[in-house]
Amino acid sequence: MHERLSYYVKRDSALHRLNPLTKIVLALSIILVSFVSPWYWTAPILLFLVVIPLSFMGRVSREYFITVLRLIVPAAGFIFIMQALFQPVGETVIFKFWFLDVTHESLLFAFRVAMRITVMISAFTLLLMTTHPSELMSDLTRRGLPGQFAYVVISSLQILPQMQAKAQTIIAAQRSRGLDTQSTFLRRVGSLAPLVGPLVFGSLVEVEERAIAIEARGFTSTHEKTSLHDIPDTNLDKTIRWVLTGLVILVVALKLWLS
Amino acid sequence: MKIEIKDLHFTYPSGLEALRGISLMIESGEQVAIVGQNGAGKTTLVKHLNGLLQPAGGQVLIGDWDTAQHSVAKLASRVGYVFQNPDEQLFSKNVGAEVAFGPKNLGRSAEQVQALVKDALALTELTDKTETNPYDLSATWRKMVALASIISMDTQIVIFDEPTTGQDAVNVARIANVIAELRNRGKTVITITHDIDFCAENFERVIAMSQGTILLDGKANDVLGQEETLATTYVDPPQLTRLGKRLGFRNTVRNQEEFLNNLQGRV
Amino acid sequence: MAIVNLQNVTYKYPLTDSPALQGINLQVEEGEFVAVIGPNGAGKSTLCYTLAGFVPHFFKGELTGTVEVAGNESQNSTLSEWVLNVGLAFQNPFNQISGAKYTVFEELAFGLENIGIPRQEMKTRVQDAMKLTGISDLADRSPYSLSGGQQQRVALTSILVMQPKVLVLDEPTSQMDPIGTREVFGVIHGMAERGLTVILAEHKVEWIAQFADRVIALKEGQILLDGTPAKVLTSPLLQENGFGISRYTSTARRARETGLWGKQELPVTLEQAVEGFNSAFPHGEGQGVNAK
Repeated sequence: MHERLSYYVKRDSALHRLNPLTKIVLALSIILVSFVSPWYWTAPILLFLVVIPLSFMGRVSREYFITVLRLIVPAAGFIFIMQALFQPVGETVIFKFWFLDVTHESLLFAFRVAMRITVMISAFTLLLMTTHPSELMSDLTRRGLPGQFAYVVISSLQILPQMQAKAQTIIAAQRSRGLDTQSTFLRRVGSLAPLVGPLVFGSLVEVEERAIAIEARGFTSTHEKTSLHDIPDTNLDKTIRWVLTGLVILVVALKLWLS
Repeated sequence: MKIEIKDLHFTYPSGLEALRGISLMIESGEQVAIVGQNGAGKTTLVKHLNGLLQPAGGQVLIGDWDTAQHSVAKLASRVGYVFQNPDEQLFSKNVGAEVAFGPKNLGRSAEQVQALVKDALALTELTDKTETNPYDLSATWRKMVALASIISMDTQIVIFDEPTTGQDAVNVARIANVIAELRNRGKTVITITHDIDFCAENFERVIAMSQGTILLDGKANDVLGQEETLATTYVDPPQLTRLGKRLGFRNTVRNQEEFLNNLQGRV
Repeated sequence: MAIVNLQNVTYKYPLTDSPALQGINLQVEEGEFVAVIGPNGAGKSTLCYTLAGFVPHFFKGELTGTVEVAGNESQNSTLSEWVLNVGLAFQNPFNQISGAKYTVFEELAFGLENIGIPRQEMKTRVQDAMKLTGISDLADRSPYSLSGGQQQRVALTSILVMQPKVLVLDEPTSQMDPIGTREVFGVIHGMAERGLTVILAEHKVEWIAQFADRVIALKEGQILLDGTPAKVLTSPLLQENGFGISRYTSTARRARETGLWGKQELPVTLEQAVEGFNSAFPHGEGQGVNAK
């Protein structure tokens, strides 16, 4: 059973050593540039000249390519097909699929959308693979993110898999009372209450106890909080963030000037 | 309805070999307690009895049914399983509906369900709480609702997984009463328990497990007297058994009656 | 000066009719180990929450009477101030893990981060506390990968690390197997030995008899008995009111009726029972008619 939900891959790399905020800015910059730029080849260039090399720099290229195959190709592929078939642009019909026209323009459009999605998911994936969730939240909290919000995010990552295990036990208990989980669809809809009910009610009890437990450890104390681990924010980090911000502004200005 | 387990093997997907060739037979109406340290395979074993787990090797027969050929829902008509945490099964708007859930699933008629529910509620002292929402009850009474929900299924075999954990003395006594009544009705009762005193006072046969095998299997008095073997699976003998041993009793005693009789005999 | 002072404390949870605690008078000296016994629903948990400040600050409801614990007063102190002086642990170890941290070490530091302890002191406190409770080898494990007994020890340590003056424990071994129970009681005993004031709600009478200085029997929100383990745990009132008592006690009581128990006091532990039954007759161990 997984003890946590997370994309994080523990390794030592240049990317891993960067400050979490820097990586967030990096991911957002890549995404913004690919979305803002009017040329449809911007996204693929970013993918091949920036994202993939970054994955090597972060020593997570293997894991990244697995995610590409499992998640990105199906998602982007699906979007490509949908856009190509249903986007009502263009006149140069290349071929007909049933009653739908696939035009040269709609293919280009679909390609651009699919590539942007690919870049977006890739950028976030790289961010998550090279940043430990608790470091990410810690750094953001230090910079002003509300502590309660960070707690909800992190504890969900760890507690949801536990809830999955609990859900399995509930299913087993109800099956043992004759609940048939393999019958008709309608019957299975009817079995929602016995499966969801205990999960929800049981969780309410747990949540109250956990609230007491974290309260007992000063969670709502108004003291200024300290942190066990130091997350460095180097001059290199700061420089990178400024440069990236500058680049994005440049691209946005370029787009406005050109249109 | 006999329970026959023939050379049962089971390995979890993680690779852990939980059962390494268990063979045993439980006759109809027997009261059996299974003890042993965490990880010995106790829960894994009983989960095979209602089909929640399927053997990797060997066979499990509930009467004339091979568990490999019947669904859990079907086996539920012969084997009732009371899980440890009542909050993992309670969901109905009131106790009556909760207790009716099991027999309804088993396809009983409306009159039968009503009678079974009435009987189960009476046995667990819940009759005055029929209209109450289970989650408005204390943990003590939620435990009894869980028990009632399985009793109402009127299965020949009833399995209890750690029934007394976290319960106070009054509720332990209630649970012991329920088990005694099941015995009177000729039901086969199988329990997993860490409470060795509860085990000694309510069960005639004790099976001690360790690391996927059966260490000891026999009459409670015999098994509970074997202190060294039990210690290897982190089981301490019951309080009065220990006392009897220390006082030099020839017999192994397992409850107050036997202890006092042996004490008399010492004079 | 008593470190715990409850005077005429009555408390009702919101939206309930009957009070969970009625007229509680309780003084505890610093360093005492007090056990609280009672059937479920007697008010043990409510008493624990009151001592830890959660009643009334977390649960709201109506609280009357004086509650003073380790310098905190229920009317004047906030919950954040309470938790600095009074530690609270309870039954279910899983629900006491914050979920915010990925290793046991970080989990233990969680409370210290919240109250603003400097980094170096944090590390020292965590390391020392782990040594005390014997969980140093678990430092890099995920809290969710531990057994129930291990998790409960982590929960206790995470409270210890806050350096409270009073430790309130609400049935910490109820859900443990025998090994877990032993481990947890080992930790609690260690804490008591170091001078911490301990208030422990428990069912396991044999363990209480071994470690507690004082036992309070609670019934329906009121104190029924308050005295030494020897007095309280052998009182006939316990059996009459549905409390769990040691089988040694109940057996010796019956034996006394037929003259087979000669001593004035009834036993609670195994050793007391052995000694008592042997002294009733001059056979001694292993020399009686039934000896092998």
